[in-house]
Amino acid sequence: MPAASTPLSPPALTEPAEVDAATAASRPVIGRRAAHTSLRGVLGDSLRMFDPRHEIRQPVMFTVWVLFLFILVLTLFPRAFPDIAASYNPAYYLAISLILFLTLWFSHLGSAIAEAQGRAQADSLRQIRGGLRARRIQGDGAAVWTPSQELKLGDIVEIHAGEPVPIDGDVTQGAALVDESMMTGESQPAVRESGGDKTSVLGGTQVIQGTIRVRISATQGHSFLDRLIQLIENSGREPTPNELALSVLLASLTIALITVIGTFVYLADFTGVVRVNIATLVALFVCLIPTTIGALLPAIGISGINRVSKANVVAKSGKAVEAAGDLDVLILDKTGTITIGNRLAVQFLPAPEVPLAELLSAAMLTSSLDDTPEGKSIIRLAARRGAPAQRLEPGSYDLLPFSSERRMSGIRLKNGIEAFKGSVAAIEAYGAALPPELRTATVEASRQGMTPLVIAMNRRALGVVLLKDVVKPGIKDRIRELKTMGIRTIMCTGDNRLTARAVANEAGVDEFIAEAKPETKLEVIQREKAKGRLVAMSGDGTNDAPALARADVGLAMNSGTGAAKEAGNMVDLDSDPTKLIEIVSIGKQLLITRGALTTFSITNDVAKYFAILPAIFVTSAGVVLAGIQSFNVLGLSNPNLAVLATLLFNALVIPLLIPLALTGVRFRPRTAIDLLRRNLVVYGVGGLVSAFVGIKLLYLLLAYLSSSPVAQAAAAGVAHFLPIGGL
Amino acid sequence: MFPLASLVDVALLIALVLAIAPWFGAYLGRVYLNRPAFGDSLLTPIESWIYRLLGTSPRQTMRFKEYAFALLLTSGVLFVWMYLILTLQSGLPGNVLGIPNMSWDLAFHTTASFLTNTNFQHYNPQSSLSLWGALLSLQVALFLSAGCGLSVVAAFIRGFTRKDGTLGNFYVDLVRTMTRVLLPLSLLASVLLVLLGLPQTFTTYVTAHTLGGGAQTLYLGPVASWQAIDLLGTNGGGWYAANAAMPYANPSAASNLVETGLMLLIPLSTPFAFAEIVRRPGEGLPFVGTILAVLLVAIGLFLLFQGGPNPSLAGLHGLTQNSLGFPTFGMESRLSLSESSAFQVVSIYTNTGANNLAIGSLNPLAQGVLLFGMFTQSTPGGVGTGFGMLLVFAVIAVFVGGLMVGRTPEYLGKKVGKEQMRWSAGLLLLHPALVLVPLAIAILGGFVVFSGGIASHAYLFTSVLYEFTSESANNGSSLGSLADNTLFFNLVGGVVMLIGRFYPMIGMLAIGSIFAEQEVLPPGPGTLRTRSATFTIYLTLLLIIISALLFLPVLALGPFAQLGF
Repeated sequence: MPAASTPLSPPALTEPAEVDAATAASRPVIGRRAAHTSLRGVLGDSLRMFDPRHEIRQPVMFTVWVLFLFILVLTLFPRAFPDIAASYNPAYYLAISLILFLTLWFSHLGSAIAEAQGRAQADSLRQIRGGLRARRIQGDGAAVWTPSQELKLGDIVEIHAGEPVPIDGDVTQGAALVDESMMTGESQPAVRESGGDKTSVLGGTQVIQGTIRVRISATQGHSFLDRLIQLIENSGREPTPNELALSVLLASLTIALITVIGTFVYLADFTGVVRVNIATLVALFVCLIPTTIGALLPAIGISGINRVSKANVVAKSGKAVEAAGDLDVLILDKTGTITIGNRLAVQFLPAPEVPLAELLSAAMLTSSLDDTPEGKSIIRLAARRGAPAQRLEPGSYDLLPFSSERRMSGIRLKNGIEAFKGSVAAIEAYGAALPPELRTATVEASRQGMTPLVIAMNRRALGVVLLKDVVKPGIKDRIRELKTMGIRTIMCTGDNRLTARAVANEAGVDEFIAEAKPETKLEVIQREKAKGRLVAMSGDGTNDAPALARADVGLAMNSGTGAAKEAGNMVDLDSDPTKLIEIVSIGKQLLITRGALTTFSITNDVAKYFAILPAIFVTSAGVVLAGIQSFNVLGLSNPNLAVLATLLFNALVIPLLIPLALTGVRFRPRTAIDLLRRNLVVYGVGGLVSAFVGIKLLYLLLAYLSSSPVAQAAAAGVAHFLPIGGL
Repeated sequence: MFPLASLVDVALLIALVLAIAPWFGAYLGRVYLNRPAFGDSLLTPIESWIYRLLGTSPRQTMRFKEYAFALLLTSGVLFVWMYLILTLQSGLPGNVLGIPNMSWDLAFHTTASFLTNTNFQHYNPQSSLSLWGALLSLQVALFLSAGCGLSVVAAFIRGFTRKDGTLGNFYVDLVRTMTRVLLPLSLLASVLLVLLGLPQTFTTYVTAHTLGGGAQTLYLGPVASWQAIDLLGTNGGGWYAANAAMPYANPSAASNLVETGLMLLIPLSTPFAFAEIVRRPGEGLPFVGTILAVLLVAIGLFLLFQGGPNPSLAGLHGLTQNSLGFPTFGMESRLSLSESSAFQVVSIYTNTGANNLAIGSLNPLAQGVLLFGMFTQSTPGGVGTGFGMLLVFAVIAVFVGGLMVGRTPEYLGKKVGKEQMRWSAGLLLLHPALVLVPLAIAILGGFVVFSGGIASHAYLFTSVLYEFTSESANNGSSLGSLADNTLFFNLVGGVVMLIGRFYPMIGMLAIGSIFAEQEVLPPGPGTLRTRSATFTIYLTLLLIIISALLFLPVLALGPFAQLGF
């Protein structure tokens, strides 16, 4: 790269230079790249989250935090609280403080990992942004190397092959191949040229071929790259409406349990029925409040956004991701989303008394030099049907390409043979009469949405090749999945009704709109929204912008215009419209994860009650009350160990579920009632059973450990060092 | 082993009510939809006249605040009226027994009690209530408090069907509840009860000369008509101190069946009315399922505990024996174990609070079964409000369940968002707070004095727990062992009943109005279908788990601890 001070000769737009492949290839892509999260960063963050200003944002965990400090103080300064003297047991109190600490810490770990994953994505983008500069063309025509942050709106810069685009702009002169993989993940370089609709270049992308002049259209801090970074950093921080609603429920349950356990402390004491142990009641309280879901709630939200990023989609808000789970209607473009976008040959129909081989040979002839996808597909199909390849000597033919007068294309060999393919009308106008059998076949084919092309040789119609808009592989299954999830699909196309219906039937969409005009999508969205449905669409053109803005989820293609990207609430960097379907799943997964963990939290509580209640109802004589003994189904004979095992289970469940919170629960498209039944069994019944089993196992483990001489020595040590003497 | 044959009573009862409920519920729904119905030609002119008198019309529809204001205003006026009557009743004509005016705090408690459909009685009707004192104040409240409950829940349900934020007209709802539901039904029920032998007279007492030569005062009165609305409106305050355990109020197995049925009729019909109002057939079935599941298990457990040995009675001699041969105390010998049990469990679970046995001498675990009914408040709960609470539980269940199917939860096409959760979760929270805080104050403040061993501590604790639970749930029954006609229990109890009644009602109206401001979303295969067995089971379990979660510690400290070591 030339030094900044090197004066340039007055720039002349040169021929494409050598591509500096090394610099072009090694750029990171935001989503695809494995999330790099530093262990030390996560640990540091998880410890920093003990800050009360952070804790207070999560009411459930904040109560745990307060109680942790409370028990810690009791543990360390028991003498200050003569009331607890009777039940004070230093090792027990210390163990409870420790487990409470772990509970909090595990919860922080979940959030810290999720945040780190999000941050890593922003960081890799920031790397791209740093230190970009370009030749600024001054008024006198001289070029001066200028850092991107000093470029102003309207400045003209010149970019040569191998150089990065400093900041967003529009090509005013020249054409170039631009590697946008760092922004879009698309490995194919894109053509950017002055005039037309391919003028916009993004800061951070790399010119790999050609030289262009670009007028700067964004200032530092306002470019697309900056906004991406901002979005990735901010999304998920603000709780979404649904998250807030769940928080309200969890906080209310917590407050209710504060009342329950808070009054119980005094009631139990006063009635004299049982000997109250503060640490045990704190343990019971912490076990009962929904700590599992409370601890993982922030992580679930952040990781939902991260999963969207991983799919190489930038969501402008967490709300949009949630809305994706709620969608009722998807508006899909036919071309590019449902179909590959080209009509391909699917069938040859020879005229009566014409051998298939003759038709194939003629078809080959008409298309052997036809570079269109249609032409290529005819060659492919003919070859598959057994037609030998034909080689035409250069100069032995005249190519008769498609023209608007002729409305057919073909070839005329020097030996006088001419072969054409074209629509029925064009071929008849050319003078080849169509046998009635073929005419019926073409009408029938048109009805099925196929395009019949008649192959004629020397004014004789040999047969028909049928072209069809081919539905993308796999799209049918995706649409069926959407239907199972209760999402209606509407296909929009500019094609006529016949073609549209055929594709719609084949793909299995619920509804199609043919002969759609640019404003049709907006009309459909307004119609569906008026019925109270949530609608999503994808789009890339400026004329899609109003519809993108109106849709509940508007997925803009990154290859599209700025207006479209501005209007949509998500931008797909891969410019793949089918990604809408993926986003729906991510949105649903996000909500399901929340619901599943809430259910898990609640059913866990049942088992915890069975484990702890007997431990609480130990009379001053050290006996469990008869009426309560029936709760002790787990047969936990040592009350203190029962409490510790339960509390430990409560804490350990959090890290065990962090992976689930980060990746989301497994989601397969099913009907709602199936999903409910399945998740109730897995997370409801699972929560119940796992808690019973888990607590029992932990109890056995603790019982084994506590009987070991080491543990007893440790307990004695604790008792020695904690200031209980004199009580 | 328990004689299964005696369960025929229970089966007959449930079958009877379930045969009527769908039909009656549909009618009830039409009443609140203001649709043309049977009796229009007679009742519409009367209603129009009342509306004119009240200065309202069915065309006037109210939003949340107006509806709540109308409810509170009506209740406020009724409160003042009742309080004045009770404190001035000695001067009313026909006071042949010379009943004095009520003390101010007892009058406050009694007024609050009847106004809130609790009908907790800190007084003995025969010695504290004059004939016209009872009829002019309390009997009016028996109708109006039940009417308010039904009106509010009708408005709550309407929220699911509207888009303009309105809930209906409170006065119209209340008047129609009277003219179309409570008055005709209680008239019908009164006649039936008179036929079954209940007294119906303005004579307050007769003196009987016993065989032993003594004189006995037999208190009479309009018992049949009182009992009819008392049970139909799930009020529960008896004409007699002994409530339905007094033979004049419930003389036979037949009257027992009818009276139990009366308590269940409206609560079990309301889910059907719900389906009718929201115009979704079958949408009430999950609620019927939940109610029946909890209620039948409760009756079963009650029979199990009450049929078996009662540890509280261990060591006592000379007690009568129940049909299974175990000593029993405080059970009616007129009625079979299953008849008594069905009546009692239904009475508590419908938050009626009428008794036909002495709750205080039940097996502690049977007391626990009754307490649990008041913890849920909604299986089926009192007239109107019980179903309202069940609907609140359903909203919460839909919220968590809806998340599990991956959509922002929606119920009957209405999104369940943060605002509904705030109110719904608040209502969950209120009940334990209203029970436990006064309980702690009562015990810590020394308003109850403990003595004896653990079992008697636990018994006394159960009494206080039962008292406040009953008041917060607007039930009205009690263990009968607490000296509660004191300034403390009258005042605190009165306040608990008022909050326990009106805060949930306002909450239901608020939730209804939030729903009423939303568009109705069309259902699709992706929405959680609430009309399903899965949802019913889920709702039932959630309801049981949440109620147990909140109340298990005190349940352990009371009934369970009574079992001793």
